[in-house]
Amino acid sequence: MTRFRGLGDAVLTALVPLGLLAGWQVASMTGALPARILPAPTAVFDAALELSASGALWENLAVSAARAMTGLVIGGGIGFVLGLVSGLSRLGERLLDPTLQMVRNVPHLALIPLVIIWFGVEEEARIFLVALGVFFPIYLNTHHGVRTVDPQLIEMARIYGMRGLRLFSRVILPGALPSILVGLRFALGVMWLTLIVAETIAASSGIGHMAMAAREFMRTDVIMLSILIYAALGKLADSATRFLERRWLSWNAAYAGGR
Amino acid sequence: MDGAGSEAASSAVEVTGLSKAFGARNVLHDINLAIPKGGFVSIVGRSGCGKSTLLRLLVGLDAPSSGRVDAGGAQARLVFQEPRLLPWASVGANVAVGLGRAPTASDAAVVQETLSLVGLADRAKAWPSTLSGGQRQRVALARALVSHPGFLALDEPFGALDALTRLDMQSLLETVWRRQGFTAVLVTHDVAEAVALGDRVVLIDDGRIALDVPVAVERPRMHGDPRLAAIEAQVLQRLFQA
Repeated sequence: MTRFRGLGDAVLTALVPLGLLAGWQVASMTGALPARILPAPTAVFDAALELSASGALWENLAVSAARAMTGLVIGGGIGFVLGLVSGLSRLGERLLDPTLQMVRNVPHLALIPLVIIWFGVEEEARIFLVALGVFFPIYLNTHHGVRTVDPQLIEMARIYGMRGLRLFSRVILPGALPSILVGLRFALGVMWLTLIVAETIAASSGIGHMAMAAREFMRTDVIMLSILIYAALGKLADSATRFLERRWLSWNAAYAGGR
Repeated sequence: MDGAGSEAASSAVEVTGLSKAFGARNVLHDINLAIPKGGFVSIVGRSGCGKSTLLRLLVGLDAPSSGRVDAGGAQARLVFQEPRLLPWASVGANVAVGLGRAPTASDAAVVQETLSLVGLADRAKAWPSTLSGGQRQRVALARALVSHPGFLALDEPFGALDALTRLDMQSLLETVWRRQGFTAVLVTHDVAEAVALGDRVVLIDDGRIALDVPVAVERPRMHGDPRLAAIEAQVLQRLFQA
């Protein structure tokens, strides 16, 4: 009974995307939608087969993923540490927070010309941009999370003799974690966005480069494939954080709903 | 009935000439109070009369402006009005917080034993969010008791509970107190609760002890005992005089 209803739900959810896909395919086949504008879904699928068979797809995917992760670890790591410092100490907040709150209003992509002058079109430029982009959401949410840990719990923990590292790991970090994970989800969105821009403008490998190179040969199927890959990567990153939320925040009724 | 060991761990609490001021505002004036070892004193008063401040001074959370509190070096524990459980720690882990140090494998037994004491033996692995309000306050009580304190201070511990759960919790507290033999101070604004539980009821008004009546009724006490009702009336009368 419930399985049947679950199946019905799945069909209902898939109805609109499948319908669009079918309409798109029909329009391409009848010639109403020229391949120059948008290739047929089957053509995109063929491009995927072709590029994965040649290995080019996996190579570019690996390069892009490595850039994204390196930037995330560097920028997110620094953001996390500085967020803890300014969240835990009044002095740290005085020193860091006003400056960072000011700088965060500068769109990091505005720095591209400067970044190209500093690093050229080398790997560092792209990693720098990604790191800068993910830094702020992680910093802001870590700071906010640490600051909003229930003071009554902290008082309780102190009365029961918790100090230093134990107070941090048992009370402050778990209390700040929901907010930190929100920051991580924001950061992952920024991460892909930044990487797309950086790879499209100045790169000799990666998914963004693959799309730009395809433009020269009017390979709309490859461009479409790149866009779909970015969408899939974004979704994958989002699912990963949801997984972490369910795993780490299972105590919280708001997150315990999912499996 | 109760072991000599737990009896020895409790201690008398001696308060002499205790005053507390926050800036220019005097909250407590010259409080003198002697609580015998293993005794149970209820403190009542209006909101803002200084009763919670007195409790914080008793357990050493605040320093007095003058005078002193001598709890004989016994370990003091405080139960708050809110359970204040760590939502990300299981019920058992929350009780283990009361040990006052990083728990070891050998602490599991004493945690389990304390949970049984408050009637939650089967909930050690549950998250606090799955418990009812009364159950959460039981966990908070277990956390305070797990280290066998000599002195337990309770700051309106049942204030947020519904009337029936309150009565349950009162009898649970009395049972636990009789079994463990600690010295207890209960701050409450419920005069009936104060009279039902205390050996003595102390009324604080405007930072001073306005009334100190013994409750010479044997335990277990029955609800609706006319002697309790008479004391309750006496305290209420004094409370509304002001």
